[in-house]
Amino acid sequence: MSSVLDFRISASYGTTEVLHQVAATIAPGEIVSLVGLSGSGKSTLALALLRLLRYRGGVVTGNIRLEGTELTTLSESGMRAIRGRRIGYVPQSPGLSLNSRLRVETLLDETWRAHASRSANHRGLLESVQLPADTAFLRKRAGELSTGQGQRLLIALALMHGPALLLADEPTSALDAIAQAGVLQLFGRINRERGTAILFISHDLLSVAGISHRVDILHEGRLVESGSPAAVFRTPQHPFTRQLVAAMPRLTLPD
Amino acid sequence: MTRPATILLALVVVLGLAAPWLAPNPYDHQFRDMASASPQPGFPMGTDDLGRDRLSRLLYATRVSVLLAPSAATISVLLALLFSALAALPSRLVAWTLSLANGIFLSLPWIFLFIILRSKLSLNTDPLVSVTLTFALMGVAGWAIPGRAFTASIVEMKDAGWLLQARAAGLRPWRIATAHAWPHLWSLALVQFRILIPAYVLSEASLGLLGLGVADPMPSWGNLLRDLQHPDVVQANPWTLAPLALLVLVMICLESLTPSRKAAL
Repeated sequence: MSSVLDFRISASYGTTEVLHQVAATIAPGEIVSLVGLSGSGKSTLALALLRLLRYRGGVVTGNIRLEGTELTTLSESGMRAIRGRRIGYVPQSPGLSLNSRLRVETLLDETWRAHASRSANHRGLLESVQLPADTAFLRKRAGELSTGQGQRLLIALALMHGPALLLADEPTSALDAIAQAGVLQLFGRINRERGTAILFISHDLLSVAGISHRVDILHEGRLVESGSPAAVFRTPQHPFTRQLVAAMPRLTLPD
Repeated sequence: MTRPATILLALVVVLGLAAPWLAPNPYDHQFRDMASASPQPGFPMGTDDLGRDRLSRLLYATRVSVLLAPSAATISVLLALLFSALAALPSRLVAWTLSLANGIFLSLPWIFLFIILRSKLSLNTDPLVSVTLTFALMGVAGWAIPGRAFTASIVEMKDAGWLLQARAAGLRPWRIATAHAWPHLWSLALVQFRILIPAYVLSEASLGLLGLGVADPMPSWGNLLRDLQHPDVVQANPWTLAPLALLVLVMICLESLTPSRKAAL
């Protein structure tokens, strides 16, 4: 098996095409960052790969191969067996993506039971994402968690069944700088220790460059550039990539 | 305000439920030689024009309201939940049909149905049948308002980020409905239930006043209020105002405990 994920897809909402023949291959253990502006189709791509875009009114065409299995021809129950087990999804906003009425332990148990019948102890998983595993924390409702804790919990839920691929859709966009750095380090550690391939979707080229093996630039629904972070930073080819690199914040202090 | 209201309501509920033991006389026994009697030993609140003990009738009427208004509210909420859940299914035809039914139920002048119901019931209909039918009809007729709130909530949930996250985690639709969506609906259902109880207490009273509610000889707050149509009786025996006073007291307590409309939505 040469790749974890291999896809070439187009996606549209009604008559509006938002992704045009976007193609990429992700090798086992590879971190690929997909960078683009808001509205460039990044989140659409994540949902399309999970075949969840229809719940947002979108239609996907093309091919998606995960570990050699073609996903576009799988039944819905077949896809349910893939989602959460072989592909972990980390959405961008813990405030919206965690069910605020449910306790942490319920979220963990429900996510576990989606693909397993026996009960499990989640202490190790919580500790691996630097969350407390005590009863007080487990009894908290998701709505009571801080944004950083919520994001780490989302990562824990995505990692629970040991997926081959993590789809992280702007997982740091709601976090402050310190929490953002912590979560990025966490993704790097997950990748090193578990060998999980990661498709990291972000609008922030600077923040993802440090952990990525490859950076793909998405512009107006098309992949316009792909390369190592060093190549993309130093010798951007596409005008949009040059614009993106030029717009990156630089620290200039007064004399 | 909520603590005194809760205590007062609890007291009224206990009085109502204990009516068979507390009432000095059967609610329908006519003391023919004591018609329209003033309060006196044996009849603390006097008797009505048929010689029935007012206190006993008030206690039994309270029992009817405290038992059946929540029952009718339960029927409404369960029907509303059922129809709203069906409306959430992918079938557009089902959703459209239920939306139409909801609109019709909200638009119909239900008082005519109660008039038809009363006209179909013979004079010797069992009082229990009459009272059950009245509240069951209220319960069925009343599903549309909570139904609209549930449907709005379910529609909102369909776009919720947590629903997408649950799907992305591979949860089955049944688990998503029961473990994720139900806690949201449950709290809304409780709010709707609490809003409907005072509405049904008042509806029964209004229907009873018009002679369309619970049929004699079964007492209800509504049909006891009919005595107030005769000012001379009220003047002669101010105890005839007791059902009205109790109704107002219970309504104030219920309203003070009812969540705001904002919370309901």
